[in-house]
Amino acid sequence: MPDYGHELMFGSFITPANASPKEVVSLVRESEAAGLDLATFQDHPYQSAYLDTWTLMSYAAARTERIRLSGNVINLPLRPPAVLARAAASLDLLSGGRFELGLGSGAFWDAIEAMGGRRLTPGQAVEALSEAIDVIRGVWDVADRSLFRVDGTYYQVDGAKRGPAPAHDIGIWLGAYKPKMLRLTGAKADGWLPSLPYMKSLDEIAQANEIIDAAAVEAGREPAAVRRLLNLGGSFGPRSDRLLSGPPEQWAEQLAALTLEYGLSGYIVMGDDAATIRTFGEEVAPLVRDLVATERATRGGGIAGAGR
Amino acid sequence: MSVDYRHPLRLGLLLTPGDDGPQAAVERARLGEELGYDLVSFRPGASELDPWTLLSWTAARTTRIHLAAHPGGPGINPALVARAAASLDLLADGRAELILSAEPGLDEAIDIVRGIWTAHLRSPLSFAGEHHRLAGAERGPAPAHNLPILLTGTPDPALLRLAGTKADGWLRPPADGGSATDSWAGAEGQAGANAAIDQAAVAAGRDPREIHRLTHITGRFTTAADNADSSLTGTPERWISALLPLILDQGVSTLILTTDDPATIRRFATDVAPALRAARGEIPRSEQVPSLYVRRHRRDGIAYDAVPESLAGSAIEPGDAGFGRVRSTYLRGGSPGLVLRPGTPGEVAEAVRFARTQPVKLSVRSGGHGISGRSTNNGGIVIDLSRLHAIEILDKATRRVRVEPGARWRDVAAALSPHGWALSSGDYGGVGVGGLATSGGIGWLVREHGLTVDHLRAVDLVLADGTRVRADEEENAELFWGVRGAGANFGIVTSFEFEADEVGEVGFGQFVMDASDTAGFLERWGAVMEAAPRDLTSFLIIGRPRLGQPTVAQVMAVVDSRDAETIIARLQPLASVAPVLDYSIQVLPYEAIMNAPQAPHDGQGEPVTRSALAGHLTPELAGDVGRLIAGGLSYFFAIRSVGGAVADVPSDATAYAGRSANFQLVAFGANRRALDSAWDAMLPHFSGLYLNFETDLRPERLHDAYPEAHLGRLRALKRRYDPDNVFRDNFNITPEPDQARSQSSR
Repeated sequence: MPDYGHELMFGSFITPANASPKEVVSLVRESEAAGLDLATFQDHPYQSAYLDTWTLMSYAAARTERIRLSGNVINLPLRPPAVLARAAASLDLLSGGRFELGLGSGAFWDAIEAMGGRRLTPGQAVEALSEAIDVIRGVWDVADRSLFRVDGTYYQVDGAKRGPAPAHDIGIWLGAYKPKMLRLTGAKADGWLPSLPYMKSLDEIAQANEIIDAAAVEAGREPAAVRRLLNLGGSFGPRSDRLLSGPPEQWAEQLAALTLEYGLSGYIVMGDDAATIRTFGEEVAPLVRDLVATERATRGGGIAGAGR
Repeated sequence: MSVDYRHPLRLGLLLTPGDDGPQAAVERARLGEELGYDLVSFRPGASELDPWTLLSWTAARTTRIHLAAHPGGPGINPALVARAAASLDLLADGRAELILSAEPGLDEAIDIVRGIWTAHLRSPLSFAGEHHRLAGAERGPAPAHNLPILLTGTPDPALLRLAGTKADGWLRPPADGGSATDSWAGAEGQAGANAAIDQAAVAAGRDPREIHRLTHITGRFTTAADNADSSLTGTPERWISALLPLILDQGVSTLILTTDDPATIRRFATDVAPALRAARGEIPRSEQVPSLYVRRHRRDGIAYDAVPESLAGSAIEPGDAGFGRVRSTYLRGGSPGLVLRPGTPGEVAEAVRFARTQPVKLSVRSGGHGISGRSTNNGGIVIDLSRLHAIEILDKATRRVRVEPGARWRDVAAALSPHGWALSSGDYGGVGVGGLATSGGIGWLVREHGLTVDHLRAVDLVLADGTRVRADEEENAELFWGVRGAGANFGIVTSFEFEADEVGEVGFGQFVMDASDTAGFLERWGAVMEAAPRDLTSFLIIGRPRLGQPTVAQVMAVVDSRDAETIIARLQPLASVAPVLDYSIQVLPYEAIMNAPQAPHDGQGEPVTRSALAGHLTPELAGDVGRLIAGGLSYFFAIRSVGGAVADVPSDATAYAGRSANFQLVAFGANRRALDSAWDAMLPHFSGLYLNFETDLRPERLHDAYPEAHLGRLRALKRRYDPDNVFRDNFNITPEPDQARSQSSR
């Protein structure tokens, strides 16, 4: 069913390779020039071939003016949530509200442990992420004048001063696949950010939506409070019957269908190729927006714009 | 007693982001840069804002000032901090420094940070300390420069000992943590701290001059009447007289002013800094002691202390952090003793003059893709031209462009594309301009537009004696003749002037073909290419055959047209040469074909190649090549089509002589002797040799590459311009006939 009615968002997924930092930054600028809304970066702090994602995002944000930036997704186990919250708010303030927080519970535990991080079971990692979201939101909540204390299983905050508050409501988007993570997404997050290559079929998106929606309702939230984004790869070429393998028009038709039938509203193109980024931003994105706007108008505009 | 550690004076700012928000703090950092401060840092823990984020942002908004990153503690993850600091250094072109606070486990943290930065060690980093544990973390990246680790904390003996043993500096904090503006510690206790550091340094085998002494200063500018005796409260003169003893007697080389008041930031820069800098004066690099690590990694035969001042700052030695990025080339592993990176033609001249006084090998590198050009060595000197990379349009009407040798062809293509121009170069955008444009240049448009050297109109060179000359058809015409085909022998070109061609979008076809009948395939492909109009250029590659699989060729072709019918008409005959297993046809800007990833070279070993030019792919030649490939002697065999416009130029017009050839061949092998023996037997098929792909060092190769008349002229040029054979790293033309060519494989 669901089209949650979110405004569409298009982004790039840029490998933070430290072999060529200038090219990484230039792809962010290409993304902005192509009209994309978002530039995102994976975060694997145990990976020696990558630039530190936080340092890179801060640097790249200062070299751009309009585009939003996000981790895709930030590795929570190696980034303590209180520090992360302050850093996120600082970057959001510096950039005039252009930062979003894609967040993951961690997956590569050997590598995390190798870096001095704490090994958790997947189940514990989800619980830790849930606590971390509370810590992060607690740091940002300067309206609450009380001293900030958290005595969690995984994270403790002992009477810290809150703040800073970010410049805008930073979206917390979770990279989630399994039911427990999906339920957490529905209960607490502002967005769901999976990767198409990790999904077996589009049915998996529909099933995940159901779990997220149910968890949202159970938490007293609207399902539309959770934006649905997707990392995806593909190629531009002659028309084919495959997903995202064809001319921009075919991409647009397929993405519009994903919005209208699967509720997705954020599309992040993988691959570090300036030409792909340009085509995606300049050709695909406007076509998808048109197709979706037309169809939404036909359906009668009963859906309120929601989410962030 | 006064001490002098021979460090240049540096003046810094410690900023505390406050209620006026992070942008205001960044603006103060930018003001500091504008006013000539050398260093800026954001105080951790003093506000809720994250200092690392602020500093990374500031890095992107500044160009010169150094950025002292001070991660908030306690409880930092040193491995993460190491990677983040290296990342900042890479993004900010070597402007990062790292401040670590005294806290339990600092000793271990330093070891971990340095361990992560030691990227050239391939073993994972494990560490079992009392405070920090790593279980096989990946090492790397290395920072862009020798990123200093500065320890900060009150002068307790343990911290000073640690600074002397392992750190690059000790930063003295304000006496009371810096909350009051007149809490300056002065020189009190500095001498004792210095002595403790020095003692620890000597005990660790280090030179005390390796360790910088830094101090925070705080104060207020007031009128003379307020001058007090022992604080920085008073007139600029009062500040100067209070600070000078610290600099001149106490060995303090970096003063970090703690203030957020723009007026104070300005006042210090204008009324205090000049007097301090003048009193300290310049400290020549040769007097600054490199770290023990750097000194231990030096090679014999190089007078490191004699490197000219203008080159010393950018030079890279084996113990330097950036060495891993410059030691090797695309195809070769190397271990030079010194990499000089001149940034101007004048510095190139200085580099040449210095290098020829050193009894070690000299290699010259533009992009580091050379096969005949070694461009690295073992224990010698490399002159790396990558900082000379400008591309400039000189005249739109005549399409005259100026390109420096360290530019990559990718960048040239991208710079010319907006004008609707291109310069046919090689077939890979990562290749540097210098090596290719002095020897030939067989590129994607070679049949239509000729060799790269055919577009050359003038060059500026640094000769072997360090003099700089210009050469074109009028001035130094014989030298200009020699540069176009044997240029690496006569000097280092610091600037090329080319005439570009008008080139729009092109058709780019890629085919995977069944080349089981290798000889027949080559003959048919050769026949198609000889019959083809000039707007078609094609290259092919055949790999080592795999057991039980058909021999496969990759055929690539560029059609200089964006018209689909023309593209198809040109590619059709090629596609019928052999069964097509896979293909793609695209219409692309020329720039897109030359797009290649940018990354430091990490070549290993030494390539074994043979190269040749041939008029035709005769049945005999094709048969021999087929046997060479079938016999597994070449793991990468390529033929490039030539002819067309190349043959329009008379053979004696340039040093490049092989004008009649329609094909250029290269074989990469694993075994020198086996490949040489097979290739030598094929020599009768060949009409010449394209030197860029040749690694055989036997003197006969000179005769393959150049007819006798050419060789005579080239030797005469060599005797005139490089009689001592300084430039012998790339297809050496010896001054006298058939001397043993003195280059060796490394």
